[in-house]
Amino acid sequence: MEPLREIVIKGFESGTRVESRTLEERVQDAVAKGYRRIRCEARGQHGIGGRLWKAGDQKVLVEVSGPPGQRVGSMGSPNTTVVVLGPASDDTGWLNAGAEIIVLGNAGNGTANAMAQGKVMVAGNIGARGMTMTKANPRFAPPELWILGSAGDYFAEFMAGGTAVVCGHEPQDPSNVLGYRPCVGMVRGRIVFRGPHKGFSLVDAKLAPIDDATYEWLAAGLRYFLDKIGRPELFKKLSNRPDWRVLEARAPHEKQGAGRRSMGRFYEEVWEKELGKGAMLGDLLNVSRGAVPVIATGEWRRFVPVWENKAYMPPCEAGCPTGIPVRERWRLIREGRLDEAVDMALAYTPFPATVCGYLCPNLCMQGCTRPDFAMAPVDVTRLGKASIQAKVPELPPLSGKRVAVIGGGPAGVSIAWQLRMRGHEAVLFDMEARLGGKISGLIPESRIPGDVLDAELKRMRDVLPHIHLKQRLEKTDVQRLKSDYDYVVVASGAGKSRTLNVPGASLAVLANDFLKSAKAGTLKPGARVVIIGAGNVGCDVAAEAHRFGAKNIVLIDAQDPASFGKERKEAEAAGAKFLWPRFTKEITQGGVVLSTGETLPADTVVISIGDVPDTAYLPESVETGRGYVKVDADYKTTDPRIFAVGDAVKPGLLTDAIGAGRKAAGVIAALLEDRGRQTFQRKMIDKRRVTLEYFDPRVTEFEDISACASQCASCGACRDCGICETVCPRGAISRVALKDGFERRADADKCIGCGFCAGVCPCGIWDLVENAPMG
Amino acid sequence: MQADRPIAPSSLSVKDLPWQIAWNRDLCTLCGRCTAVCPVHAIEPGVFRKRSLTQAAGLLEKPREEVSVFYGIRQKTDPAYACVGCAMCNMVCPNGAITPVKSDEAQKLVYHLNQGGQPRRRGGRRNAPPGILDRIKFIRISMLTDPALDAGRHEFEMRTLLGRVLPPEDTLTHVRDNGWMPPVREIYPLMIGSMSFGALSPTMWEGLVMGVSYLNEELGMPVRMCTGEGGCPPRLLRSRFLKYIILQIASGYFGWDEIIHALPEMREDPCAIEIKYGQGAKPGDGGLLMWHKVNRLIAAIRGVPQGVSLPSPPTHQTKYSIEESVAKMIQSMYMAWGFRVPVYPKISGTSTALAVLNNLTRNPFAGGLAIDGEDGGTGAAYNVSMDHMGHPIATNIRDAYLTLARLGKQNELPLIAGGGIGKTGNLAANAASLIMLGASAVQIGKYAMQAGAGCLGSEGDRCNICNIGRCPKGITSQDPRLYRRLDPEKVAERIVDIFVSFDQELKKIVAPLGRSTSLPIGMADALGIDDYHASERLNIRYVV
Repeated sequence: MEPLREIVIKGFESGTRVESRTLEERVQDAVAKGYRRIRCEARGQHGIGGRLWKAGDQKVLVEVSGPPGQRVGSMGSPNTTVVVLGPASDDTGWLNAGAEIIVLGNAGNGTANAMAQGKVMVAGNIGARGMTMTKANPRFAPPELWILGSAGDYFAEFMAGGTAVVCGHEPQDPSNVLGYRPCVGMVRGRIVFRGPHKGFSLVDAKLAPIDDATYEWLAAGLRYFLDKIGRPELFKKLSNRPDWRVLEARAPHEKQGAGRRSMGRFYEEVWEKELGKGAMLGDLLNVSRGAVPVIATGEWRRFVPVWENKAYMPPCEAGCPTGIPVRERWRLIREGRLDEAVDMALAYTPFPATVCGYLCPNLCMQGCTRPDFAMAPVDVTRLGKASIQAKVPELPPLSGKRVAVIGGGPAGVSIAWQLRMRGHEAVLFDMEARLGGKISGLIPESRIPGDVLDAELKRMRDVLPHIHLKQRLEKTDVQRLKSDYDYVVVASGAGKSRTLNVPGASLAVLANDFLKSAKAGTLKPGARVVIIGAGNVGCDVAAEAHRFGAKNIVLIDAQDPASFGKERKEAEAAGAKFLWPRFTKEITQGGVVLSTGETLPADTVVISIGDVPDTAYLPESVETGRGYVKVDADYKTTDPRIFAVGDAVKPGLLTDAIGAGRKAAGVIAALLEDRGRQTFQRKMIDKRRVTLEYFDPRVTEFEDISACASQCASCGACRDCGICETVCPRGAISRVALKDGFERRADADKCIGCGFCAGVCPCGIWDLVENAPMG
Repeated sequence: MQADRPIAPSSLSVKDLPWQIAWNRDLCTLCGRCTAVCPVHAIEPGVFRKRSLTQAAGLLEKPREEVSVFYGIRQKTDPAYACVGCAMCNMVCPNGAITPVKSDEAQKLVYHLNQGGQPRRRGGRRNAPPGILDRIKFIRISMLTDPALDAGRHEFEMRTLLGRVLPPEDTLTHVRDNGWMPPVREIYPLMIGSMSFGALSPTMWEGLVMGVSYLNEELGMPVRMCTGEGGCPPRLLRSRFLKYIILQIASGYFGWDEIIHALPEMREDPCAIEIKYGQGAKPGDGGLLMWHKVNRLIAAIRGVPQGVSLPSPPTHQTKYSIEESVAKMIQSMYMAWGFRVPVYPKISGTSTALAVLNNLTRNPFAGGLAIDGEDGGTGAAYNVSMDHMGHPIATNIRDAYLTLARLGKQNELPLIAGGGIGKTGNLAANAASLIMLGASAVQIGKYAMQAGAGCLGSEGDRCNICNIGRCPKGITSQDPRLYRRLDPEKVAERIVDIFVSFDQELKKIVAPLGRSTSLPIGMADALGIDDYHASERLNIRYVV
């Protein structure tokens, strides 16, 4: 190797400072000429010792005496060594690309800023923002900064590579060798340091103990560094391994939330410690930490299914004034127990065939859930007709209590029948020769076959042996009955036809008389019949008039006629014309004169505008109002010993009369037996709970009774189909056998309260209710 | 089941509803999770009748018919059960078989939400698109002039003052003449606004306070939270965390006897007292906590019997004028803590805000004025109040600040802005806009619920059922089955995330202004907007 050729370059000549540009040119020129040792007497010139690449592989040594300017050795080449014999200014080693820069005094701010390779060695302390924005290029060895003393503030900001060694020897601040707020934005590299610090950016860096490899590297480097700055004697003091620690940049994935106490620890160590067990609400709530799942079971379910079997009345039963449990009868049939289903009716009505099978507008069918969804109602008339076979149950022995029932129509027979079923003797009194009231006396045989009625009347007579027919009672008779019997029931109906208060009204026939003679077969109507009043009785009159030969039948009414059902249809089939509104002014031999002056010609005029009770025979103690007997909710009249039911109280359907009889019998029986009554009435089920999608909507007619039973949705009573068990997504539902039947249960530990059971149940048994309130 | 019965006026089809349930029969496993989770029972298990016809080719036979049944999920169309779009069904569905879809046309449900003559009530915020705040930009980006700072590197002290700040020249004479100096707190400029214990669930509330305490004690950020009008848990009143709390008193005075009883045992003063006169979400209307939300816990904290409805009247009963409000309420509240705690009123955004402000400037006890703009949120209000009443916060704050500036008091009476800040997620930008328009601090409520606890509500009228106590996230419910879905520690973590990230964004905005230690309050020359009239009205630069 050629010996170094040496040159002195002065930064101060003839009392004048040499410009930075001139000094730089002289240094570059000297290197180009082959000088390899440059003694530079500096006077604050910028960038001394940098960029000496012209020497190629040959080493260049620049010794700086006097005060250098900023950026000594900046953009330094790997072949260059710069030795500053005293302190250095700012940015020493800026963008250093491989030079070794030794500062024998302190160095200013920005030391090693943006250094990419090479070394900067400082024999004292450095200023602010040292080792900032450094790099580590994989093509070269990483840069190093060696500081004998301490670093200034904001050390290692945005450091992206290399190693800074801070020896902490005689530091500027003995309590902090790393300055204020080091490592902000540090992404790579490490700081090996000795001495106390006052914190660093926890998000960016982390402390680590010095490992073997690092210590070996440090020890070797330390010897070199101390030799270079001429302080080898310090090696023993500075090489004590336990004094050293390492700050490393955190990896990007470690930066998130780094250095923070976890919230769990904060809860335990700060929050709960200050507030007490259970923290903020521990004194008011008993809750554990953590969250409950959104889909929960047991007590954490928001909703709970309840199996409400038979908790509600089905619409058919609720619609029946007589209160016949229709749904139960269909169930019995589904179970193959037709006889029981038929016999069951007699517990509710003495006329199951006559009324349910023929005469009733079947409110049970009107109430049926199926028509609400455009499906045919289950046909109860089939069951009614079959009830002609019903067997009277064995009657209980007589209690000795006796009740007199005035009137043998549906209401009177019903109450007498019910009282007998309960073991009390009922004695019937009726004016007519035949039991059955309007059913026997007025309703045309076309609507109720005689043999059906006869059979039911016979069954009735078997149950009720004491029947006094053709008995017209007077006030005194009633008083006597009151003293002879425990109670008296007025069920004498509304047998008196209303008439019109118009001239010539006496020329007209009253509807009841008309129908009575029809029933007796003695009717002889004229060819032209005008019926005033177009209700269902008027329709019966029309049908009977037709049957007995009338040709031209007209019904008039003051308003849209209230007639409906079979009666209306039969009248229409008889060719009857309905006219309304028409007001009768007069009845003449020629016919009915209307308020308009028009005359409707008639050979027979029938007045059919309703009936009123005949109450003349009742004692004064029984009050009436608007012609009807006044009763309370228990059918009791103003005389506590006298009850009243049926049309005598309020005009209604046959089933209304029968139902009133049954209910009043319950009241009287309770009084006779001296016990309280159960007045609890189940509510009707919400029809929307019933699921009719299971049924074929095209079934509009039923082949037989079993077909009817199979199409009954069994509203509110479990059909035991087991669909809920299968559909339950958690397998929570099971069938549990009980002593008298079964029930279904949802296991709280499995159930999530989804409501599938309630949604799919054909019968509307399951309901989904809010779980019991918590907290 | 579709009724084969006459339709009623409020019979609607799914198409008429704002949210429609899209259910995929192929993906559905019939697991029941969606119907179990739906907060409003908008969906139910359905039984569907299916009629199939098969016809052999050749016309030699009649078609064969089969009627079968399948199971699935059905959406109800009864207005009382209309889907609210919360999408909890989708969240719990293992197969993604169900999701609510926003109707593609004007909904008809809105005409039927008044069944029984009761107008619609809901929780949430004004159902309206983003307002003016999102249009304001920060146009002063100093590079070599101010000089600029580096948000990532430089240190910032994002602090503001709450309380009456006397002018320096008056300070000494004021103390000498009055023997008293108004208390002032140095706090973080983003506050959690008043949301009551009761409106919020216990878990949500505890999560908020825990997060705020963490920010103070672990991260040195002096964040404050206002209780709202529902009292304050007794343990919190007696803890050192009370100093992070602003106690609110409002027209219902709920929980205040418990606060008074706690006075002798308080180890710290609260940060401040807020007197609520109005709320941005429902100006002119009071609060109402329905009886079914008033359980044992709420009763204990509010100091009321259990199971009764708790109305807060729209006005304070015994105060009929600004003078009375200031004289009576502010004095009373100062006295409770020996004149050591700042007291300030809160009003809803209104065209009469300046009248209130002018009165407060003349009262040295007034520690600030909070104005809650029309975009504020609430747990329960009439829809009409929420959607159609109130005043935008931007002009209210700007007018108030410029009035103070004219009086030379712009650094003396802090203005606190609230209502819809961060409504579309732009929390720091909205907050910084309001600060530069003149606010000393901003308050957030619903943002904390959305970002802190996953509130599903939106201005697209999604969810918004806080009022009925069935919040599916457990944020506004008093039912443990719902509120225990929310883990307070997780809420606290999110609150910390919100404030730390907000802090970073706020620095990003103020660093180019060269501000690092004082907030740029009222520094409106840094603001620009692309709407000429708005720029004129707000007195900021028009930039296009």
